[in-house]
Amino acid sequence: MYSIDHRDLGTPPAKSADSVTLEIDGASVTVPAGTSIMRAAALADAEIPKLCATDSLKAFGSCRLCLVEVEGRKGFPASCTTLVAPDMKVRTQSPKLQQLRRGVVELYVSDHPLDCDDCPANGHCELQDAAEVTGVAHSRWAPGRTQRGLAPDVSNPYFDFNPDLCIVCSRCVRACDETQSTLALTIEGRGFDSRVSASEHQPFLASECVSCGACVEACPTAALTEKTLASLGQPERAVTTTCGYCGVGCSLKAEVKEEQVVRMVPNRAGAANQGHACIKGRFAYGYATHQDRVTKPMIRERITDPWREVSWEEAFEYTAREFRRIQQKYGRNSVGGITSSRCTNEETYLVQKLVRAALLTNNVDTCARVCHSPTGYGLKHTLGESAGTQAFTSVQKADVVVVIGANPTDGHPVFGSQLKRRLRQGAKLIVIDPRAIDLVRTPHIEAAYHLQLRPGTNVAIINALAHVVVTEGLAKHDYTESRCETDSYAQWKEFIADPRHSPEATESISGVPAHLVREAARLYAAGPNSAIYYGLGVTEHSQGTTMVMGIANLAMATGNLGREGVGVSPLRGQNNVQGSCDMGSFPHELPGYRHVSDAVTRGKFESAWQVSIADEPGLRIPNMFEAALDGSFRALYIQGEDFAQSDPNTSHVAAALKAMECVVVQDLFLIETARYAHVFLPGSSFLEKDGTFTNAERRISRVRKVMEPLAGLADWEVTMRLAQALGYPMDYAHPSEIMDEIARLTPTFTGVSYDKLDELGSIQWPCNAKAPEGTPTMHVGSFVRGKGKFYRTEYVATAERSTSRYPLLLTTGRVLYQYNVGTQTRRTKNLVFNKEDVLEMHPDDAEARGIKDGDLVGVASRAGEIVVHAALTGRIARGVVYTTFHFPESGVNLVTTENSDWATNCPEYKVTAVEVVKVTQPDAWRARVSTQRNTRKGASASVG
Amino acid sequence: MSVTAWVPRDAGALAVGAQATARKLQSEAKAAGVDLTIRRNGSRGLYWLEPLVEIECAEGRIAYGPVTEREVPDLVAKGLLKGAAHRLRIGPIEEHPWLATQQRLTFARVGRIDPLDLAAYRATGGYKGLARALELGPEATVNEVLESGLRGRGGAAFPTGIKWQTVLRQPAGQKYVTCNADEGDSGTFSDRMLMEGDPYALMEGMTIAGFAVGATRGFIYLRVEYPHAFKVLASVLSTAREAGLLGDDVLGSGNSFDIEVRLGAGAYICGEETSMLESLEGRRGEVRVRPPLPAEKGLFGAPTVVNNVITLATVPTILAGGAAAYRDYGQAKSRGTLPLQLAGNIRRGGLVERAFGLTVRELLEDYGGGSQSGRPIRAVQIGGPLGAYLPASQFDTPLEYEGLSAIGALLGHGGVVAFDDTVDMLEMARYAMEFCAIESCGKCTPCRIGSVRGAEALAAISRGEDRERQLVLVEELCDTMLNASLCGLGGMTPFPVQSAMKHFPEDFRLRTRGG
Amino acid sequence: MNVQRLVAMANDIANFFGSDPDPAAAAEQVAGHMKKFWEPRMREEIRRYVSAGGEGMSSIAIQAVKQLA
Repeated sequence: MYSIDHRDLGTPPAKSADSVTLEIDGASVTVPAGTSIMRAAALADAEIPKLCATDSLKAFGSCRLCLVEVEGRKGFPASCTTLVAPDMKVRTQSPKLQQLRRGVVELYVSDHPLDCDDCPANGHCELQDAAEVTGVAHSRWAPGRTQRGLAPDVSNPYFDFNPDLCIVCSRCVRACDETQSTLALTIEGRGFDSRVSASEHQPFLASECVSCGACVEACPTAALTEKTLASLGQPERAVTTTCGYCGVGCSLKAEVKEEQVVRMVPNRAGAANQGHACIKGRFAYGYATHQDRVTKPMIRERITDPWREVSWEEAFEYTAREFRRIQQKYGRNSVGGITSSRCTNEETYLVQKLVRAALLTNNVDTCARVCHSPTGYGLKHTLGESAGTQAFTSVQKADVVVVIGANPTDGHPVFGSQLKRRLRQGAKLIVIDPRAIDLVRTPHIEAAYHLQLRPGTNVAIINALAHVVVTEGLAKHDYTESRCETDSYAQWKEFIADPRHSPEATESISGVPAHLVREAARLYAAGPNSAIYYGLGVTEHSQGTTMVMGIANLAMATGNLGREGVGVSPLRGQNNVQGSCDMGSFPHELPGYRHVSDAVTRGKFESAWQVSIADEPGLRIPNMFEAALDGSFRALYIQGEDFAQSDPNTSHVAAALKAMECVVVQDLFLIETARYAHVFLPGSSFLEKDGTFTNAERRISRVRKVMEPLAGLADWEVTMRLAQALGYPMDYAHPSEIMDEIARLTPTFTGVSYDKLDELGSIQWPCNAKAPEGTPTMHVGSFVRGKGKFYRTEYVATAERSTSRYPLLLTTGRVLYQYNVGTQTRRTKNLVFNKEDVLEMHPDDAEARGIKDGDLVGVASRAGEIVVHAALTGRIARGVVYTTFHFPESGVNLVTTENSDWATNCPEYKVTAVEVVKVTQPDAWRARVSTQRNTRKGASASVG
Repeated sequence: MSVTAWVPRDAGALAVGAQATARKLQSEAKAAGVDLTIRRNGSRGLYWLEPLVEIECAEGRIAYGPVTEREVPDLVAKGLLKGAAHRLRIGPIEEHPWLATQQRLTFARVGRIDPLDLAAYRATGGYKGLARALELGPEATVNEVLESGLRGRGGAAFPTGIKWQTVLRQPAGQKYVTCNADEGDSGTFSDRMLMEGDPYALMEGMTIAGFAVGATRGFIYLRVEYPHAFKVLASVLSTAREAGLLGDDVLGSGNSFDIEVRLGAGAYICGEETSMLESLEGRRGEVRVRPPLPAEKGLFGAPTVVNNVITLATVPTILAGGAAAYRDYGQAKSRGTLPLQLAGNIRRGGLVERAFGLTVRELLEDYGGGSQSGRPIRAVQIGGPLGAYLPASQFDTPLEYEGLSAIGALLGHGGVVAFDDTVDMLEMARYAMEFCAIESCGKCTPCRIGSVRGAEALAAISRGEDRERQLVLVEELCDTMLNASLCGLGGMTPFPVQSAMKHFPEDFRLRTRGG
Repeated sequence: MNVQRLVAMANDIANFFGSDPDPAAAAEQVAGHMKKFWEPRMREEIRRYVSAGGEGMSSIAIQAVKQLA
């Protein structure tokens, strides 16, 4: 069932720029060439009955309900599969058509239950609609063969499949193919025995299904239906909002009954997701109303004291008093704040404003520090803007796609599906990853090259690729000459052409056979449109920034920037990483990436905020911890981030937090970090507030309030009230006013307003006088910084290398079913799919250590040790092990080290030297966390 | 004394014991001290005489039939190897009126030569067509086919030249020639006979098609029920490659063409061209929506010629003899000859290749010799299980496209099945629906559900339940299936049903049946 | 501040800019980076460390820190 406020036009829009004028039921209609008669008729308000057609899928022509008459053509063509032609005369209604349609509907009804009142789809069932318009109330056919009587498949935690209600329209099968590209569904059997089957007649849960829900949405009846639709009843209204999970930023419709979300349906007009969503966005929203939610402010003087529930007023007053006391005692710069990539742009903006204007320090940072800060630095310095260069739709024009250190089908599933669609059309794929991610080989897709490098050797590989481009004469000199700095290009060319960067020379470093690197480089350079997509496997290294620059160098040298189909696109981990960075969350930058030392910019903010802003950079997150241990940093306001689980070297982080006098945590749950907090301010989920998120393609989308904040205040109101308590006037009636202020003060946001967002749906910044409707592709014509700048990217081995004591390299990633530290997803039925972090290791490495699949193993690094279960797999190369970090009880960050990127201090999560041994007992950490979780009974610890 | 005998390797002959006959013949000859060479040919198509044994004699090939294993000792003893008289002696086979009155163009070689003998194929005019096509060039070759008036013999009767022209005009790039050898119509066997009896003709036809449209690869989609044809094709493909008739340099022309045989999996629907393409691509055999036509976007999305075995095997004859010579046969818009397959309750069943225009009655009486049972022929079904039933009153209809179309029937693939006056036409109508239900791919609703309901309703009528109402439902259903089905399976199933109801209404009336 | 951490960071930065063939230019870029991204406390700490000899620091890093006035 598609969204209750979607008007389905039957077939997807045609892309042609030419238009065709025809006559439908006597009225003249003009549509793009290539449009189906069905869609043209729907656009002209002449609805044609249909069952197998929906506008998210290619026309299929199987239900035979949409027949029409076309003058001069014999027979009754199906309007879904027949395209418009100039001067065509179409009749959509006639007694003969009605008779044929009745005949078809009666056949459907001859094997379909008629007790609509008890059906979850009642009122939104397309078969019910078809029966109504054709006047079929029952079937005249005598009872005969039936497909009914099979037990419903209720194995999936989110949706049921009831074969009794299935009309075999194949919409689910086609959605799995065309929308999701997983191909888990098929029709088995022939003729009357045709049935929908998940994999090879397996229950949905056991099949290859990834629970994206596209089939559920595509189903015209209640054969595939959300469990909540049956349990809660039909929704009453739909609110268009933006997903709160990953950086794809899917536009969703929250369908609501009273104040309760009945289901989430992707918005088919959503520019980023184009009508698709994944299991997290569509189904895993239950955390928002989970019993663990804390809805009362709490304070305590010492972290060993029990929490005391207090009023909002008391919490604000206490916090303000403490911050002022600490600033008086230890100096203005002894306090700071952390913005969250999970919160809205407006909330992020307010937190940094509070820090800068109310606390008068630049000690503000954001969790992007630990994920994509190298992207900001690297792209700003080479191209001129700290953001990805493309819109997601750009991938549909790429000929060669390079995926580096990212796993889109798990981490960014909706983009993963878009990418798969393009690859299935024939685009070539190069994967650079220590692990064989699904894209390397999956139904109908196989990577042309998988460069399975050793963790920590990214720069050696990107240099080798560039070396081949330069030394084999594959660089696009016209492009670099007109668009890049002559000097830096010449210096870089000389640098990269040196034999030490050749694939042959770097083979011993990266472990990737030289000929594969050469061939991959040639493929990338040949394009003609080559696009690079990368993730945290690029940034979370001691050379993260160098690698981002290396990527930009390669793209510039081959002319792959500044148009559709090419580019450098970071896949952002969280919903609002881009936005939190845009909003001035970094200690050295004001909103719009302008350095605090820039007096003109500072002046603008000073006059708007009526304060004097410090002109020196503040502390970054890891520096704050160092300063805290040093005694010069004493208070921290943390909005929506769980350092104690997410940041590396947990013991070090814990010690720093313990050393502070006032730690304020604003979150949905009592997360790990709250164990070290003095003040807890209840947060609000994305369903409880208005605002905007900015996704990985710079797209600003509205978040709209679906229900009232459980704790009474939305996060932006909490920050505002805290500022007021600190004596700094902040007074916004609605987040739209905050956006207006952002637009006034930020050149790339000048044209952004809530009114325009309502009108356009979403906007990709920059949006200003030069680009009033936003900018899908950046650097068209020229780079933002003027001329593109090449940087010399010397490979420097990380200090973290395998030794005889720690002979294996540990790297980390995410799974489809969990999200980051799991605070949200662990509080949903996604646990059914993924219950714990496991350690993937190569069977040979396991055998050498006497480890079998499923054994409990200890993983030790120089920073600490953890215990998890082992999973043996050939996905990972010998010498490398891999795990996820979704569960606090695994404490994966106990083993990661303090190593970090040279430019941004982004932690080196992706390389840790470890040893793995078979053990019989959970380790101390794991035992402790498990015990605490059990004793806390629900109000347990985790992240927001 | 040395003698050469011919015993068919055709599946129809093998089915009635040709293999045992051949073995017995060899051993009896040996015992008689005769140096006997047994050669294997295709069937001549006189199936009531199979196993048909031919002995090479001075006056030509003398036929005996049916020669079962048991008859062999007696035959040998009585001088079979010398062509002596016997009650089973047919005489010089080529002079047999059943054969002599035919106009065999497509089937000229079938039964006469060893199908695996490439030299014999060439000696009887083989590869002259291709040589001429190479001389003419692609455009003129397509024109030649266009001029000949050849229409698709698979059943749809679409002008072959126009189809080829469409493929030729598509932009250069990968194109394909596919041969539909999924001969699934009941009572039809001409594709099989041709592939088993003269496979090089098909290969040459496909090679000409490939050259004419610019395709370098061909596929034969063969039904899995034809294992003998598969063996023959596999054998001649490898011989042809060795002889340079397939491969990178066909006949030294510099043109590349090769053929691969793919087996179906028992689905009738894969005889429908778009389902066949789906199946060739390795997918579920399901009908594709047209447009795009296969000639524009066919196999793997590339421009594709889809032709039936007989269509392609006729092409060499057209090219070798010229379009005009072929066009001289037939009448009006049905030009050339048609290999008819006569089966069912008939005395002399088999393959009759004649120019278009022979009447149904001539076929049934002159060739068929009336029913096998000796009772009057009450109905014939033309064009396979989806063809209309003709009553005796329509037996003077000429067998050609327009003539049959005028009475609401179709020639289809040229299968003609006869029924005597004991046939129950209601049961035939019910069976038509059941056939559709069994063979439906399940994609479109009228076919998937309609055929099942139709069969149920006709069964109910047969049982006398709610007769009038059910008849109305069946009438309406036929209209729905006819007008709303996605492909010919659902769309043509009403033909046998409606024709049975129209011409044999008495069988649908209330009756008390024997017992 | 853990000065050893700062030393490691300074060396990492110097490692990157050190690929400039001109050591003076490299040191200038390292100093520029520190000015832009290091909080004054950190700069002060590393300056003191360099004044005390700057053990374990690369020459470019030391040159750079000396430019932090």
